[in-house]
Amino acid sequence: MHKIWLIIKREYLTRVRKRTFIIATLLLPIFYMAMIFGTGYLADTTRHNLKVAFADSSGFFTDTLLNRENVADHSSTLTLLGKNSTINVSNFDSAGYQAYVFIPAIKWDGQESTQVFLQTKKAIGEISTQVVAAKINRIWDEVKNEKLGIDISKRMILTGNRIELSSQNVNDAKSDARTASGLAMACAFLIYFIILLYGNQVMTGVMEEKTSRIAEIIVSSVKPFQMMLGKIIGIGMVALTQFLLWIAFIFLLYNITKASGNMNSASNLVGSVQKIFTSVDFPLVLFFFGFYFLGGFFFYSSIYGAIGSAINEDVREAQSLAFPVTMLVIFSILLMTPVVNDPSSPLAVWASIIPFSSPIIMMARIPFGIPGTVPWWQLALSMGMLILGFMFTTWFASKIYRTGILMYGKKASWKEMIRWAFRKS
Amino acid sequence: MAILELQHIKKYFATQKAVDDISLTVEKGSIFGLLGPNGAGKTTLIRMITGIFYPDAGNILFEGRKFDPSNDVERIGYMPEERGLYKKMKIGEQTLYLAQLKGLKRAEALQRIRTWFTRFEMESWWTKKVQDLSKGMSQKLQFVTTVLHNPSLIILDEPFSGLDPVNSNLIKEEIFNLARQGATIIFSTHRMEQVEEICDHIVLVNKGKKILDGTVKKVKQDFKENLFSIGTDQITEATVAHAPFDLISRDEHRLVVRIREGQTANQVLQYLLQQGTTIHSFNEILPSLNDIFIKLVEGTSVSRQFLSQEAVEQKN
Repeated sequence: MHKIWLIIKREYLTRVRKRTFIIATLLLPIFYMAMIFGTGYLADTTRHNLKVAFADSSGFFTDTLLNRENVADHSSTLTLLGKNSTINVSNFDSAGYQAYVFIPAIKWDGQESTQVFLQTKKAIGEISTQVVAAKINRIWDEVKNEKLGIDISKRMILTGNRIELSSQNVNDAKSDARTASGLAMACAFLIYFIILLYGNQVMTGVMEEKTSRIAEIIVSSVKPFQMMLGKIIGIGMVALTQFLLWIAFIFLLYNITKASGNMNSASNLVGSVQKIFTSVDFPLVLFFFGFYFLGGFFFYSSIYGAIGSAINEDVREAQSLAFPVTMLVIFSILLMTPVVNDPSSPLAVWASIIPFSSPIIMMARIPFGIPGTVPWWQLALSMGMLILGFMFTTWFASKIYRTGILMYGKKASWKEMIRWAFRKS
Repeated sequence: MAILELQHIKKYFATQKAVDDISLTVEKGSIFGLLGPNGAGKTTLIRMITGIFYPDAGNILFEGRKFDPSNDVERIGYMPEERGLYKKMKIGEQTLYLAQLKGLKRAEALQRIRTWFTRFEMESWWTKKVQDLSKGMSQKLQFVTTVLHNPSLIILDEPFSGLDPVNSNLIKEEIFNLARQGATIIFSTHRMEQVEEICDHIVLVNKGKKILDGTVKKVKQDFKENLFSIGTDQITEATVAHAPFDLISRDEHRLVVRIREGQTANQVLQYLLQQGTTIHSFNEILPSLNDIFIKLVEGTSVSRQFLSQEAVEQKN
């Protein structure tokens, strides 16, 4: 036990102290934030101040109404053209406008829609068009309300008094399908990334020990099984550390942005993350996330370790041998979308019980609620199967590992590896 | 007393009998030579002694008891022929890690590392990485990691390959030192001149079988061919023609002769003195281990492959 602990410590410390780990841990959230801020900023600047020349033949649109809306929504400025204005559809751009709208002589009490055009010389985005349309319709609604004598309280009755419909699971009143599916996808993707990323680290770590020939020295001190297990646990701890650092980072960022009162897109995102924490049984989800994260990681990384032991320096060899295993992981993530859409379907139930896909698929179901969506018996069966599954893969992998780690020359095929595993010791 | 005893050890792989019924005894405190051409089964045999492989049949006794790899490996130091260290790990940390894996406590390991590093003038290496060392330097480091935990049995596979004469001597001295302090050393090589110089007892394996076992002295006696070298200035053809020996070769000052069956060295000397020959020297020529080795494994396909490799090495 003491020796496994030494190996875990080495695997953990050499990785955590590496520059690439620190960079990846810091840069990924920064990169992620930059992406959100960046796209938000770009969208803001492109939408900002779309200058629209507004020609009105109906006479309902006044400067006062237009200006009030321009103040409320900065993204576009509608400028009413006077009766004698020389600006028209062919020359609005030379007068400094980006778009031109002509409202024909419409009646306020008509019962059909009127088609008008936001005419531009350059293509503009669909969103900009919708924003301008919404603005014009807000003004138009105000005009109609005034003509019909509808005051503010009557208007509230008309627009505010609605019947909202959302789904509710009677077995689990807390569950909220939208929040749950968001959380489900986040959990499933995280486990997917962890399995692929850190499974690969296990594989390259084993390859490195084999090619640097340190393996023979280590196995003259400890059992190959201890060596493999120590590596897997050590790397698993690295993954856990990175994950916890990111969680801490999100909370820190949330609190900073909240304190500075700057409710922009980033803190909105963080806020929605916190909403998830409050609306879902978070400790329970976190516990199962931990379980399926470790279970899935052990299940796959021991196979990746065995593959690493069966090949030599060639990375391409590694990829071709690991391909079937990687396919299983990718297949699981492909199943995620149908499962999130219908978390109680037979597909979802069985995929969350079979250990190949259960780490990803079960985590895509659990946020929908236990025992509402995932009955206890399914959860118990899935966890039991995963424990049996990773015990089997670890056993199987350690047999391959024991032979492969000291075997040099040609890379082994899957057929040979299976023969190593089932050979008498 | 024997520190290690192998009784009828067998290890068969799918394609070959790597070790086929080998028995041998290694005395405590001796320097034991395990010889054999490449592919003879030396590495497989060593891997069974270090607990990496389990024998298919036979027993291994370590210090008189049945070998128990999980505990006994801490008393064994093994330096494989293919050297291995973590290339990117700092040397001090790495040495400490390997020592702790062999069961040393941290404080004790640190103290011993300091002692050894001082002895080998490696103090400044502590924060360097293995990838920054030359081949000879990493060889020295490898030796230190092998003996750091004071093993009672040290197994060295080709310990001098890649070392310059100065460092070679340094390691050789340390091997003698460790043996004097009571450690037993198993020394696996195919460099025969080193074996003659260092080993007390040798075993020669070929194709998985033991083909020779004995002390260096006894083996040489067993394989001697009654060859003598006679230093002399003038000797006539007639003298040679009637002598009780066969002439093997001659040059200006020296004859190499084989004494005939039933004759003794004294009779040869007497004959020569009677003939009035001036003799400067008279020595028995014992076969070198190299000759014995080649004689024993000659003709087998493995040995031919081995000899051609040897020839390449000698050219270099």
